[in-house]
Amino acid sequence: MASTQVALSPRPNPPGPGASKPLPLKSKTLNVDNAKPAASVAASRASTPGLETELDAGAQMNEQVRNRYVIDKKIGQGTYADVFSAHVRSDPSKLVAIKRIRLQQEWENGITMDSIREIRFLSELKHPNVILLHDVFSTKDQKISLVLEHLPLGDLEEVWLKKDKKDPMIAYTQADIKSWILMLSRAVWFCHSHRILHRDIKSNNCLIAANGCLKLADFGLARPFAEPGRKMTHQVITRYYRPPELLYMAQHYGPKVDVWSVGMILAELTLRQFMCPGNTEMEQLNMYCEIFGTPTEETWPGVSKLQCYVAPDKPAAQRGHPKSWWESNFGLIGEDGRNLLRGMLTMDPKKRLSSEEVVKHPWFSSSPRPTKMEDLPTKGKADLKRFGDDLKRHAGELDSGRGDKVARKLFG
Amino acid sequence: MKLTEDDIYRRSTQYLHWSFTAAQLAAQRLKTNIQAAERVKAAVARQRAARALKTETPNASGSENASQNGANTPLPPPDREVDCLTMAEEKRLVDNFCEKALELGDFLKLPIEVTATGVQFMRRFYLLNSPMTYEPNQISRTAIFIASKAEGHHLPVAHYAASLPKTKPEDILAPEYLITQALRFHYEVRHPFRGLKGGHLEMMAMAAGKATLPPNIPQDRDPRALQQAMLELPRRPGGPASAMSEKELEKRITEAYGFASHILKNAALLTDAYFLYTPSHIWLSAHLLADEPLTLLYLSTKCPPSNPMHAKLLTTLRSCAALLSSHHSFHPASQTEEEKAARDKKDQVELKALMKKLRLCRDPDKTNLVKLNQAQKRDAVENGELEENKRKKRKIAREQYEKEADDFFGPSLSKKENENAS
Ligand SMILES: Nc1ncnc2c1ncn2[C@@H]1O[C@H](COP(=O)(O)OP(=O)(O)OP(=O)(O)O)[C@@H](O)[C@H]1O
Repeated sequence: MASTQVALSPRPNPPGPGASKPLPLKSKTLNVDNAKPAASVAASRASTPGLETELDAGAQMNEQVRNRYVIDKKIGQGTYADVFSAHVRSDPSKLVAIKRIRLQQEWENGITMDSIREIRFLSELKHPNVILLHDVFSTKDQKISLVLEHLPLGDLEEVWLKKDKKDPMIAYTQADIKSWILMLSRAVWFCHSHRILHRDIKSNNCLIAANGCLKLADFGLARPFAEPGRKMTHQVITRYYRPPELLYMAQHYGPKVDVWSVGMILAELTLRQFMCPGNTEMEQLNMYCEIFGTPTEETWPGVSKLQCYVAPDKPAAQRGHPKSWWESNFGLIGEDGRNLLRGMLTMDPKKRLSSEEVVKHPWFSSSPRPTKMEDLPTKGKADLKRFGDDLKRHAGELDSGRGDKVARKLFG
Repeated sequence: MKLTEDDIYRRSTQYLHWSFTAAQLAAQRLKTNIQAAERVKAAVARQRAARALKTETPNASGSENASQNGANTPLPPPDREVDCLTMAEEKRLVDNFCEKALELGDFLKLPIEVTATGVQFMRRFYLLNSPMTYEPNQISRTAIFIASKAEGHHLPVAHYAASLPKTKPEDILAPEYLITQALRFHYEVRHPFRGLKGGHLEMMAMAAGKATLPPNIPQDRDPRALQQAMLELPRRPGGPASAMSEKELEKRITEAYGFASHILKNAALLTDAYFLYTPSHIWLSAHLLADEPLTLLYLSTKCPPSNPMHAKLLTTLRSCAALLSSHHSFHPASQTEEEKAARDKKDQVELKALMKKLRLCRDPDKTNLVKLNQAQKRDAVENGELEENKRKKRKIAREQYEKEADDFFGPSLSKKENENAS
């Protein structure tokens, strides 16, 4: 009933110096006194007018944030951003990752919608399984930089997929899969309880912290739940992870789209390969129909009204793979695991499990229990050791303590 | 355990960074006003000196920036001290430009969340900046543009600029960083609209005898009893009990919703309500203004009057309602058309005078935001190489230092602790 819940507590004390701080790094009031007093700066520069006049308050705060960090080296490159490792100036043992959005030539609409959305949602979502955004600043040449927690152990895709023949094969068990999926599902449930759809869940957007903790990242396609009746684009979610309703071009959809993607990740962790690597949207949909059976009005009321729906040509096409197929391919995760998997990979979004139901699924409490995150296998266990020796410091999370506690209270 | 709206709100950037007491708000505005006035006076003095220099020695190039930026701005008469806006005047102007931004949003048929978010961006911006420094018209169109991106509403800049008078895309884009920095990259604004809708649906369910009541409500309040109480609700506070049919009751609830919704789309956006109250307070206050007996009954199902919180909450709601109803967009039933017209006319006259005053106390360095932005970017490129070199040197020095330190002392842990403490 969260949607109709009324906040009834009286207005609490406004945040001030005494208020509890969610992030020790962030300055919390509009107070910019600790920057140079504007008047005296103005006076000292009075001879150089125009550009060289004092910074305004916003720019001063930006400068303060920027000066808090020192970039060490570039560690990665994505389509839209360069990623650097950096440390906190006042405490070099605190590592962060700085994601600097590249300026795009062909983009003429100023700051990109993706970066604004990513910043918007990450600023609101603080959870141990969601990548932590410490700060945001812009560089002098007007590139936006996101200061993120440093997650040195790669992503979940690297766990099951050997991209390079030289990479070692990482062995893992059902208990390890449980642990990863549980962490991911908690992140997804948390987003959904904030009425936010992620819309790009895939294993390489699940990053791994030095202590093995999984962190959902990349909120560039996220958006709030739509008001009933409001249309949304179906062009979201990487194809392999895209649920059938989006392939049928539904314009009204909800949080269940993310649940399907999590189901796909559970499937690929179990199979050690992509479950449905379709080359086109058509092929993707055909794969689903083959595995799950082509949906009909009976199995999925309303499906025939979706734009791209094609009815099955013969009755056999409605059937999908038998139970034995699931048993032989998904033996690793057991009966409970298969129930959960099929609950998440249910074609009709109405019948698909919600993220809350996923988190509360008996698979996670049945034996074997999910592995403790510190004990999870990672590609980087060896790398990390080298890394740690190099820098003579722990590559740790900056600030997990409080966040973890809060979330345990919320979800425990 | 599930998160309530309240829990979520209390973790939001809006609550953590953009909620204030009235005193804090006033202090912040005063600070901004004083700083801006000082800057304006200093900048005007510079411009006067530069112009004087120019007239004396026509060939001296003087300062290039000054001539680029401020040469065309009217300066106040040289024999007079600049007459700067007061804090109250600044607020009055910002309020007015927010109202114009709202009209612009209406005119462009933007979704209300986009305009509403844009207006709040403006209000946040002007907590830190003065309209004397940055002209509200320039800021408002960009604030709305940023809001369209934050709200996921695709609005290509060329299209947007073309729909505004005398506006080029670069006029929209130039202050983006300026605004975004003042917002501290907080793009989320929590609105009361959804809360109002949810509350409205709940009231409709109550009216139909289908309320889902929380367990802490007195025993006699079953859904039927609640429906009966609603049908008998007096029209006015303290009025006689009525005997409505279910249809009449529904109509009454719908009307209250419409009235409250109008307040949320106007007065709530154009006052300090978002800075001072939570979204729930705001919509409940608007509803209280719309239909007090109905709202009080609804409240009693959430927080019974026996609860010590009840009185406190009601005090807060009443003060929020007072703020909302003080706005000129609010029409109390008691106000006649003539009264309203007279009030509006007086507002217009005062605003016109303020606009005139603003024109004579603009910061001459900040009039042309496009040029200012270009200059900043040019500056960054020139400094960029320098910075890069410095960074490399720093890195080498740091590595050297670390190496030496380790050679000497071995890897140390206490060093880390010391730094933490400072
Ligand atoms: N928080 C982080 N900590 C450590 N390394 C990171 C972090 N975020 C990203 N990286 C590294 O930087 C690389 C680029 O990341 P980024 O998120 O920009 O792009 P991507 O996800 O790889 O690709 P795309 O831009 O197509 O989504 C990653 O592959 C990873 O190696």
